[in-house]
Amino acid sequence: MEKNKTIMIADDDPAILDAVGILLEFEGYDVKGSPNGAELLKMNTEFPDLVLLDIWMSGSDGRDICRHLKNNPRTSKIPVLLISASKDIEHSALEAGADDFLEKPFDMTVLLDKIESQFRKSHNAA
Amino acid sequence: MAKKVPEDGYKDIFSCNPATLLVMDIDAPSYTILDVNEAYLNATNSTRESLVGKSVFGAFPANPTDEVSKNIERTIFSFEQAIQTKKPHTMYNYRYDIPIRGTDEFEERWWTTTNIPILNEEGEVAYFIHSPTNVTELYKLAEREKAGVEALKQQRAQLLSFFMQAPVGIAILRGPGHIVELINPTLTGIYGKTVDEMLGQPLFDVLPHIKGLGFEELLDEVRQTGVPFKGEGYPAPMLRNGTMETVYFNFVYEPFREIDGSISGVIAVAIDVTEQVNARKQVEDAEERARLAIDAVGLGIFDLDLLTGEMITSKLFANIFGFAEPVPRPEYVKVFHPDDMAARVQAHIEAPATGRLFYEARVIWPDKSIHWVRVEGKVYHNAGGTAIRILGTLLDITDQKAAKEALAASEQLLGNITSAAPACLWMSDEEGAVTYINQTWTDWTGKPFEDHLGMGWINSIVPEDREKTAEKFINDCAARRFYEAEYRIDHVDGTQRWCAANGRPHYDKNGAFAGYIGACVDITEQKHLQQQKDDFIAIASHELKTPVTSIKAYTQVVEKMLQRKGETKEAAMIGKMDAQINRLTSLIGDLLDVTKINSGKLQFNDQEFDFNSLVDELLEDLQRTTLKHTIEKKIGATAIVFGDRDRIGQVITNLITNAIKYSPDANKIIVHSRPKNGEITLCVEDFGIGIAKENIDKVFEQFYRVSGEMQHTFPGLGLGLYISSEIIKREGGRIWVTSEQGRGSTFCFALPLRKN
Repeated sequence: MEKNKTIMIADDDPAILDAVGILLEFEGYDVKGSPNGAELLKMNTEFPDLVLLDIWMSGSDGRDICRHLKNNPRTSKIPVLLISASKDIEHSALEAGADDFLEKPFDMTVLLDKIESQFRKSHNAA
Repeated sequence: MAKKVPEDGYKDIFSCNPATLLVMDIDAPSYTILDVNEAYLNATNSTRESLVGKSVFGAFPANPTDEVSKNIERTIFSFEQAIQTKKPHTMYNYRYDIPIRGTDEFEERWWTTTNIPILNEEGEVAYFIHSPTNVTELYKLAEREKAGVEALKQQRAQLLSFFMQAPVGIAILRGPGHIVELINPTLTGIYGKTVDEMLGQPLFDVLPHIKGLGFEELLDEVRQTGVPFKGEGYPAPMLRNGTMETVYFNFVYEPFREIDGSISGVIAVAIDVTEQVNARKQVEDAEERARLAIDAVGLGIFDLDLLTGEMITSKLFANIFGFAEPVPRPEYVKVFHPDDMAARVQAHIEAPATGRLFYEARVIWPDKSIHWVRVEGKVYHNAGGTAIRILGTLLDITDQKAAKEALAASEQLLGNITSAAPACLWMSDEEGAVTYINQTWTDWTGKPFEDHLGMGWINSIVPEDREKTAEKFINDCAARRFYEAEYRIDHVDGTQRWCAANGRPHYDKNGAFAGYIGACVDITEQKHLQQQKDDFIAIASHELKTPVTSIKAYTQVVEKMLQRKGETKEAAMIGKMDAQINRLTSLIGDLLDVTKINSGKLQFNDQEFDFNSLVDELLEDLQRTTLKHTIEKKIGATAIVFGDRDRIGQVITNLITNAIKYSPDANKIIVHSRPKNGEITLCVEDFGIGIAKENIDKVFEQFYRVSGEMQHTFPGLGLGLYISSEIIKREGGRIWVTSEQGRGSTFCFALPLRKN
């Protein structure tokens, strides 16, 4: 059986980390949570297959983390979905190199669609 | 027995006869001289020897002074006449000069000669006597007489010519019948007649229209008394060119005297002075009118003699001073208000130099009431430049003064109010140039009044808002619209202040646009509050979204778990919960949008998109939200629209969800769409509760909600249509509604199509 895909969620709201984590696990993904995305900057091995990244987090900006990941050849291929409560920020999110954007609050079916779509893309690319 | 002349005595008689006698033979053409007497020899300075036996024409050749005369021919003719007719024949007055003895000179002689035939016993002419008479003296006398008559004739002709051409009318009227004996064309011209029509006619027969006006009596009196009559400016009707005109005359009637001194008629001399009379009348009329006009406007008049100090005043002048009748000047001077005396004296001092007298002063009437007068005069100077006279007018201006004072007082009051007003007040002319701005504005901006006139005020607005504000004002002014704007100004205290300005178009009494009257208030505080509120809502809605996101996630996980376990009923309940969360999300979204609209931060991501595909997509989703209503599509051709696809979709969603919400008893909704005239129009038609007429204008306002006793209370914040209308406006489109209460509403919007 194929190994489960790992999704890293970075959000400073523990409820979202918890709820979205349960949902994704329920859908068969391995989930790792981070309250501010600091782990994403430090990680060296065991890269996740996809990153869900909140933009406004206490202490960090998701767009900076996204740029960091996209600028690192080892992580640049990992799909990043930037998430924000403000739709107005979508443009700058895509500029930061995000593969997709999601406005809070989002419908879980939309989230799952976007995740699967990213996996299909990387599968096709690979 | 009577004594007889002896036979040879006749010889002596012949010789001694004082008549010049020459006896000639009838031997034409020679006509030999047979005898001559002493008188003849004397008269012709000749000798007997030089004449007797010679032809008369040899003895008296052609006249040396008159070579071309016909004397010889006339003489021969006379001879022949005498011989043939056997009767004496006379030649009158011919010239034949004779030599002066001892000189070569000739003497002028005029002759009258008779040739008398003498008959023989057989009755034949035997010879004839030629008897010239020296008529030189007589002839010369006659010549002089003739010249005298000629001169007289010429004089008479000159007189007549003068008479006929005289610029004054002259006529001689003879006798009691006033027969026109002589008349010149000037006078017949005045009468409107010709000389021929009048000569020899009785005057009053030719001019019946002046009969009985007294002229007959005047003429008769002059003729009977010999006393001339002189008339000036007499009117008389005259028929000229078929119309009766009044003609004015100056005339003289002089008696016409015969040589014996008796008066046989009248010489009339007349001049037409109609023009002068009319001119004088016009002047008089003008004077009269001026006087009436002066009286009518209540002007008193004065004429002040500066040399004597005497002043003539009109009655009205006296009345304005409180007197019933004019009084001497000192009386007037006495009643001036003491406080105004100095100004009055000053005006009089200045008047001679300026040529004009002007002042206003109070006068105190006998009843102690105070009246304002205005004195205006013109100064007249003599040839030496000395002011000698002031002519002028006086006007009672008490009422004007009172009105002016009242006006000044009310202006003062208004001025005080406007400067005290916490709001800035302003006015512009019809071109939009500011003409007034009150002190509040100058206090705010720290710039003087003049700096703000015209479009100067715009410079106090911060550069970021300046262009937009100016454009709005100019456009509103051009359209004569109510003007409303918000902008920031650089306040004198160094801060930026928010101002809300408005202007109402005002119209003059003729209904012409006269400009704006407006106000402008400092709304910095409100702006701060608004900003705080907007910030709060922005933060609050953002903060709300976070828990909603996790609730939504939990809900959906639970729903999925229950479905997987087969607990359908519970799963359905959780599904309903999710729908409520969606409503909550939507409300939060609306609040956030309104905040953005208010702060001008609603962002648009404009791009080209296919309109019908958007509509199809949305209708499919929306149909899923209602079980009761069928959404019917009446969609025409598609079009490419340039705009924010999500925002326009938000509007369509809003209109359809409203249609569903407000037609609880209906079962269908119709969506119409088609491109037309460069626009794409979409209408959502429902069969619901409709909108009351009085509310139809308010539906696009912020916080408007359908409510009322007869209505259900519908949930919502009342922001959806406001947001929709803002979106459509920002996208350059129009949004509107038609509705009938109880029958349903149709909400429409139109968006411009992409320009090719």
